[in-house]
Amino acid sequence: MKRRETDESKVLLVTDHGDPGFAVTIRLWANAHTGATHAHTTRGHACAAPTPKPVQVVIAIGGDPSTLDPQYADDGNERAVNDNIYEMLLFRDPKTMAVVPGLAESYKQVDATTWRLTLRKGVKFHNGEALNAAAVVFSVKRILDPAFKSQQLSYVEGITDAKAVDDYTVDIITSGPLPILPVRLTWLKIVPPKYAAEKAAEFPNYPVGTGPYKFVEWKKGDHVTLEANQAYWGGAPKINRVIIRPIPEEATRLAALKAGEVDLVRGLIPEYVKDVPKAAHRPGLEFPWIRINTRKGKLADLKVRQALNYAVDKEALAKSLYGGFAVPADGQLLTKGHFGYNPEVKAFPYDLTKAKALLKEAGAVGMSVDLIGESGRWLKDKELIEAVAGQLTEAGLKVNVKIVEWKTWLDLLFAGAEKAPDLQFSSHDNELLDASRTLSGLFTSKGNQAAYANPEVDKLVETAATETDPAKREEMYRKAVKIINEEAACIFLLNLENIYGLSKRLEWMPRLDGRVLVKEMTVSQ
Amino acid sequence: MTNYLIRRLLWSVLVVVGVSLVVFFVTHAIGDPVRIMLPLEASQEEYLTMRHAWGFDDPLYVQFWRFAVKAARGDFGDSLWQRTPALALVIDRLPASFLLSFVAIALAILSSIPLGILASLRLRSLLDRLCVMGSLLGVCIPVFWLGIMLIMFFAVDLGWFYTSGYGTWKHLVLPAVTLAALPMGRITQIVRSSMLDELHRQYMTTARAKGLAEGYIIVRHALKNAAIPIVTLAAWELTRMLAGYTIIVEKVFAWPGFGLLAMQAIERHDLPLIQADVFVVALIVVVLNIVIDFVYAALDPRVRFE
Repeated sequence: MKRRETDESKVLLVTDHGDPGFAVTIRLWANAHTGATHAHTTRGHACAAPTPKPVQVVIAIGGDPSTLDPQYADDGNERAVNDNIYEMLLFRDPKTMAVVPGLAESYKQVDATTWRLTLRKGVKFHNGEALNAAAVVFSVKRILDPAFKSQQLSYVEGITDAKAVDDYTVDIITSGPLPILPVRLTWLKIVPPKYAAEKAAEFPNYPVGTGPYKFVEWKKGDHVTLEANQAYWGGAPKINRVIIRPIPEEATRLAALKAGEVDLVRGLIPEYVKDVPKAAHRPGLEFPWIRINTRKGKLADLKVRQALNYAVDKEALAKSLYGGFAVPADGQLLTKGHFGYNPEVKAFPYDLTKAKALLKEAGAVGMSVDLIGESGRWLKDKELIEAVAGQLTEAGLKVNVKIVEWKTWLDLLFAGAEKAPDLQFSSHDNELLDASRTLSGLFTSKGNQAAYANPEVDKLVETAATETDPAKREEMYRKAVKIINEEAACIFLLNLENIYGLSKRLEWMPRLDGRVLVKEMTVSQ
Repeated sequence: MTNYLIRRLLWSVLVVVGVSLVVFFVTHAIGDPVRIMLPLEASQEEYLTMRHAWGFDDPLYVQFWRFAVKAARGDFGDSLWQRTPALALVIDRLPASFLLSFVAIALAILSSIPLGILASLRLRSLLDRLCVMGSLLGVCIPVFWLGIMLIMFFAVDLGWFYTSGYGTWKHLVLPAVTLAALPMGRITQIVRSSMLDELHRQYMTTARAKGLAEGYIIVRHALKNAAIPIVTLAAWELTRMLAGYTIIVEKVFAWPGFGLLAMQAIERHDLPLIQADVFVVALIVVVLNIVIDFVYAALDPRVRFE
């Protein structure tokens, strides 16, 4: 059942902030079929036509959405609901992850800081408002307004304004050249201007979008109900009704699936895969990693950092802790699906002898290092930290593991390079699928999480951010990725998979970007 | 008695205000929640801007004044995440928690009183031993584990009830039983031991000598005299539930009560929501305590309000 899919297409990862440990990603189908993709398409087609009676699907998520305002919170539970109600100007193709038209039919760059989008005509919000340039302008201004206090600003960084050219043409203005703009527009959800402005107090609780599903009710803490938007511009979805239920306890989520109360469970833990009616999994975007304070004492020595990487047996961790639903990271914190992934860079092999020799050469045998970690935020984080500490100890270091409370962990992460602990465990997921988010934040001297600095990397990342030729831009990121790997700037650990549990009747190929889009599902009777 | 009530109420106000103050300072001492709200990738500038927009960069006394002025009018501000008045969010969840707690305590009392009495009457019988063992089990079993086991057996295997959620009695049974297990165990023990104390008192012999029916004597005389510790314990169990002990049960059964809301609020450092939650809990506890005092008075004529 756990046959590994060789599908190349890659995936996004969603972190459920309200629900520690339920960061999820995806891989392919599981149980019954082997030719997964094909089995899915043929079956989906066969059952589409002869089911005239209403079809309802129940989806279990890890926690209650914090809000149903699509532009406010950074919350995976909110997205699980709103991805079905709201839409963006650009989408990502479910299989290839390529940026494709969404509410905008086309886009082009008109000058260094202006992008012109042509909107799809005849699209209406669920309340009848028209989707037009004014709606886009309103949505952009709304999320950028400091008084609105959106938690999603880092996803739309670089966008400064929007202007209507005519009813269906809109210009997006950026602070400088921003080649990543189309990617940012796959994130930004468009809201109905009249309703959002006039009923601002109700808006977070009664969402109105352009998407395939209309909001029906939200009983907080218990469920959100959606129903099919028969007038959806992309064609009415096959499933008529969707109930999304927060079930915070993972064992209960599994039980609900087994009892037939829910059809889809997000964030299944590896141990449960054998118990579910059907499972779907795919390589994800979640990369547990350990930051090294590269300026501190012996850790400034490349040999020591290399030793740390050689000392960790990634394969063993993936197997023993994650039941094989993880792979060693390819010596970078990016998947093949990320723009900027370097196919030449490989994981440090596990080589204890080499690690010991390197430590000896550096005169660091028996060196004492602090390893800061947290618990419960990510899947098996504490277990992973302890296992890695054990392996480092075996290589000849004295590792002091300190598991701290989340707030303390955050304070240490952002303490700046001088005060950064020797080693700090973290987990990175770059949902924008563009290397810039990973590299600039984690490995440049300006990066808020960085404890590593290298002028060459700085320059590459900075230049790439405004480089409009995609090929050149990609080359720069690849180069930076290579340097970071050669410098062993961190301990590269694993790349986790997203696992879903499905009911027998639900037919769905999990999307590569972790979005749970009910319009892509079908139900067989 | 009116004097007593007024005094109690004044004290209660002090307690609620005091608790609110402590919570305000403790939560603010931990630090601002802005980092928790933003994704890890958010830049330092974004963090500082956000911190300023929320006013978390103001001196603590300024923040406190802002809080105090609004709180005095019963306004705890909007939840940082939900952007809806925090107090309303808590109140919205009360019915679910109340329903669960009251049903659980009723289950516990209605089952443990007869069991405890029977056990005390048939001392060292099989029934007595079973009761003692059962009540120990109820006290010892981890709530979490019990909940999951009940779900697996009664919801998944037998399909009698729902695994989780809210709405019908089929949703209510399992969480209520899970929540009732511990108080049931404790109350059975106290009923048994209090009854044992009373059964050998002289007034029992007198009552029997008067020729009264045994059942009547046990209920009207022994049980009534044994009632004070039982009521004390039951009230304490109920208070504990309403003060947040339901949280584990709510989590296991995805029961939309305020325990779950509080947990979420704490995880997200949603300060106004934590504040509103603590306020409501403090209020409930204080009111419940006053009510219990009156129940004592009704049960025991020696209790006087002074």
